[in-house]
Amino acid sequence: MKEKTNRLGTFYLSLFFVILYLPVLSVILYSFNASSSTAQWTGWTLDWYRQLFSDRVIAQSFRVSIVVAVLTSLLSAVLGTFTAVVSQWVTARMKTAIQGMMILPLIVPEVALGVSLLFFFNALGLPFGTLTLVLSHSLFCVPYVYIMVRLRLQEIDKSIIESALDLGASTLQMVRTIILPLVAPSILTAALLCLAMSLDDVIISTYMSGPRSTTLPVHIFSMMRVGVTPKVNALCTLILMGTFFIIGLSQLVTKNRRFAK
Amino acid sequence: MRQPLLSLINLNKYYGDVHVLKDVSFTIDEGEFLTLLGPSGCGKTTLLRCIAGLERIQSGDILLSGTSIKDLAPNKRNVNTVFQNYALFPHFNVYDNIAYGPRMTKSLNESQLKTRVSEVLELVQMSGYEQRMPHQLSGGQRQRIAIARALINEPSILLLDEPLGALDLKLRKHMQTELAHLQRKTGTTFVYVTHDQEEALNMSDRIVVIDQGEVQQLGSPREIYNNPKNLFVTSFIGDRNIFPVEVVEPGEECSKVKLGESVVAVRNSSSAKNAFPAEGSAILAILMDKMRISCDETENAVKGRALSIHYAGSQIRIEVQVEDRVLTVVEYQKIDCDCQVGDTVYISWEESGAILLPKDGWEERGV
Repeated sequence: MKEKTNRLGTFYLSLFFVILYLPVLSVILYSFNASSSTAQWTGWTLDWYRQLFSDRVIAQSFRVSIVVAVLTSLLSAVLGTFTAVVSQWVTARMKTAIQGMMILPLIVPEVALGVSLLFFFNALGLPFGTLTLVLSHSLFCVPYVYIMVRLRLQEIDKSIIESALDLGASTLQMVRTIILPLVAPSILTAALLCLAMSLDDVIISTYMSGPRSTTLPVHIFSMMRVGVTPKVNALCTLILMGTFFIIGLSQLVTKNRRFAK
Repeated sequence: MRQPLLSLINLNKYYGDVHVLKDVSFTIDEGEFLTLLGPSGCGKTTLLRCIAGLERIQSGDILLSGTSIKDLAPNKRNVNTVFQNYALFPHFNVYDNIAYGPRMTKSLNESQLKTRVSEVLELVQMSGYEQRMPHQLSGGQRQRIAIARALINEPSILLLDEPLGALDLKLRKHMQTELAHLQRKTGTTFVYVTHDQEEALNMSDRIVVIDQGEVQQLGSPREIYNNPKNLFVTSFIGDRNIFPVEVVEPGEECSKVKLGESVVAVRNSSSAKNAFPAEGSAILAILMDKMRISCDETENAVKGRALSIHYAGSQIRIEVQVEDRVLTVVEYQKIDCDCQVGDTVYISWEESGAILLPKDGWEERGV
């Protein structure tokens, strides 16, 4: 009886992964297809990659994406950690308020968020480009850092913090020597997540991109309007590899967190 | 007159509407081992945290060597705490854990620090463990490191919050001796919190018994054990038979009470001098292990019937029915009378083992 359910489970799980990853695999496969149509397979080629690397618009948007993603994850890491740490010392009511404000960007539909940011930055007179991209990406990245750091903070025994103060540390010294080192792995994991989310974002970036600062996903989206070329497949393959690399890195960080509770 | 090291003056502490410390006042002398003893939730840990500065008091004052410290942050008070769960910094090794205090206050340079760390490590018999991480240590070892970490600051007072609570029985006994020894060696004033009466009686110079946020009694272990002041202390410390009796002849030091068919003389508790009405009732408390059982009637003995006899290793517990109540007698090794269940026996006790208390608070105990 148990054997049977096990086999059924294995089958279901296999099916799940096949359906999930088959399209991904086909994208990778077709990026090496010599034919420019996905209808037929005419042999291996690296032409599409060659074309991709010589495309200056793609190179430019790739640069924008990377710059925005790195700045976003740095800004989010700082702001999210700061908010999480400070929210430990505020009143319960204030804490609830912070929590609510942090969750809000995650539940407001991105389309609405994008439109409101468009109006907001317009009213401020900010030029659309890297700055607006970083600010708007940080808006939905900070909550993730906040949540992950807070979870880690909750794991820290309160008496560790108290004993640091008791032994003669000022609050600032205590944060620097005890809290930050203990939450560092969570900050790093969250920052990597922000990197991936910023690289991935299309909707908000569409609103925020300036004339010479289009992010890669926005550019791909506009390329798709003309039709799927194998160049897009090649690009998506590279993006996939990049994403897997970042996720893998964050997993490694999490795994190396060996602090005894 | 010698000035006390620490004076607590009418401390009051509320958590919302809950009054957790009620007008707590007492003083602690330099170099003494003082224990705060009470059941869980009595406010003893809160009191300790108030002294450490981890909790604020709403009224009253705390004087350390004559100076008020009640408004100082914990890092500005010359007291250090050993927490129940040790609270070692998990990301630092033993050396860095112990060096933490001096490093934060910049009171020592690195070479002085090195000497001091090895000194305190030697004090707690943990030399050679500098490079270990906290998770590589056993509970007892972590405890020692936590004590060393607090002692390196040379605090005026070391506060210990049930430091042995998480250790197993054997290790706990061992650490009791060691703590008392350490206290004598360093001459540091220890304020120790526990709910374990045996621990308190074993180690302390003086004990403060606390219940419901109030100091119930303060005195040496011997005083507390032999002369409990009120019903709470009487029932909390020592194994006693406690029951109401009829007073037939009240006296200044001793009163005569009726127990079973006999009338026996019992010492009045210090708080109950002249407190007994001629024909009223009072509470009699007798330490079980100061009672004796015999087959023949003697002076001041009470007649009863043996209900059950249990052999528990070195001690024998005998339940004796006297009229409508059951008393427990604990005898060690030999009994004068080889009685059987159902036999008529006579129980008596050492004079110091029995005490007569006023009936205040008896009904509230719901016995």
